[in-house]
Amino acid sequence: MKAKKERGGTPIRGLLPLVALLVIWELVGDPASPYFPPPSTWIDGIQPLIDADKLLPAIGQTSLTFVLGLAIATALGAIVGTLVGASRSVDRALSPSLEFLRALPAASLVPVAALVLGYTTQMKLVVVVLPATWPILLTCRTARRTLSPVLLDTPRTLGLSTWHRTTKILTPALTPAVLLGVRVAAPLALIITLLVEIVTRVNGLGAALGAAQAGFLSAQVYGLLTIAGILGFAVNWIVTRAETSVSRRMRGTV
Amino acid sequence: MTPTISCTDLEVTLPGASGAVNILAGVNLSVAKAEFVSILGTSGSGKTTLLRVLGGLLPATGGEVRCDGTPIQGPPDGVVTVFQDYAHSLLPWRTVRRNVALGIEARLGRAERDERVDEALTMVGLLERADEYPWRLSGGMQQRVQIARALATRPRVLLMDEPFGALDAMTKASLQDQLQQVQSLTETTIVFVTHDVEEAVYLSDRLVVLNGSPADIGLTLDIPLPRPRHQISTKERADYLELRHRVYEALGHTVGEPARG
Ligand SMILES: Nc1ncnc2c1ncn2[C@@H]1O[C@H](COP(=O)(O)OP(=O)(O)OP(=O)(O)O)[C@@H](O)[C@H]1O
Ligand SMILES: [Mg+2]
Repeated sequence: MKAKKERGGTPIRGLLPLVALLVIWELVGDPASPYFPPPSTWIDGIQPLIDADKLLPAIGQTSLTFVLGLAIATALGAIVGTLVGASRSVDRALSPSLEFLRALPAASLVPVAALVLGYTTQMKLVVVVLPATWPILLTCRTARRTLSPVLLDTPRTLGLSTWHRTTKILTPALTPAVLLGVRVAAPLALIITLLVEIVTRVNGLGAALGAAQAGFLSAQVYGLLTIAGILGFAVNWIVTRAETSVSRRMRGTV
Repeated sequence: MTPTISCTDLEVTLPGASGAVNILAGVNLSVAKAEFVSILGTSGSGKTTLLRVLGGLLPATGGEVRCDGTPIQGPPDGVVTVFQDYAHSLLPWRTVRRNVALGIEARLGRAERDERVDEALTMVGLLERADEYPWRLSGGMQQRVQIARALATRPRVLLMDEPFGALDAMTKASLQDQLQQVQSLTETTIVFVTHDVEEAVYLSDRLVVLNGSPADIGLTLDIPLPRPRHQISTKERADYLELRHRVYEALGHTVGEPARG
């Protein structure tokens, strides 16, 4: 009970310094400043986007790329990670290539993806999926590798089919590891989504940010930044909560 | 008559830190229907390895393993292993009831499944804990859940790896007697790994001792004690004590000398 209360309280209390900073900014800030417009001007700054009916679609585009990218990364990371972790020899054969691909900076993918797919949502997805896959793939590989042999023998001796072995034993046993990877991958995916949008100006919140910056609309930049921050905070909060509660159920430790 | 489960010239080699290690060599064992055979041996002698091969969970490196006369590839139908490591064998995300149902839920209807689960849980005395999660139970209770899960499938052959090792003396005695009862009712063939000499003599029709490295069967001993056996009176019989004596000797103990490790 006590622990629950603390967990619920922490994010709010933890935000206090930020709120204090914004209040001070508001009090001492100069509304005419081209670099540091106070928070009250931010809403006016994004008002034109709202009026032009551009803000919600932009948030929608960004969310769509993020959610789809994360979903694909999760499926890909979980499946490849499980397969690689299941066999020592596959693991050894693939590890160097995987390490190389992992070290590839996400930004360097943008030109290639843009070249092949053009300035499209698919291009954004490709750039987001690749880096977001690694944390999930790696945690899943380790979890599969360290899975107790007895847990794998159990469905065999009870005569479960391969399908049931996968759905009833392997999937639940690896779910906490996958979610742990998602917890790391989700903020990463969001950052990369915004980054790609800023760099390529292909629709979304990032593109709007880039355009506002190019037009010296500093209040609008801060307004959009706040929205991106709230989005990131919400994503982080959701995946953390999901990960904690699911792994508690699956691992059986309260 | 073809034995229910048998191995001839069995050889098992497993990878070790410095190359392959020969764990079992030249093991011959044949278990008849409804027979109760115990495998004894010191820790690390290869008992678990032998049981895994008999259960089709580990392929033999050499020799042959047969179940009802046919060479086995993978766990044969109706041959169920109860693992030594019960903690990793139960699914922490399932309740006791759903753990016990794991082996039968795909092939039985709900009513029959529930009936079998209740029956198996009653046999091991855990019916009132059916809706608990296994990690809330003691080690001994968890092992009983694992036994119930095997019993619920109504196995022809039960391969048990030190199933009562984690239990206190009282629970152990009562489960030994329940196991005997189940076996006499169902005519299940049982291969039972243990390092408890008394337990092996008390339960078995025959016991074998694994020793050496690589291990083979050093001693085979028939236990012609009358059935049903009784915890007190059977263990007071002169022939029981004599058999016990011989097993201890085969394991390397000498009278008048304290046991070494
Ligand atoms: N998966 C494995 N890979 C390699 N070697 C193994 C493996 N499992 C067991 N061994 C080795 O095989 C030998 C026999 O092990 P096993 O588990 O069969 O012994 P045991 O008689 O069951 O011992 P205990 O009474 O302690 O359970 C040991 O030397 C062990 O190190
Ligand atoms: Mg063992």
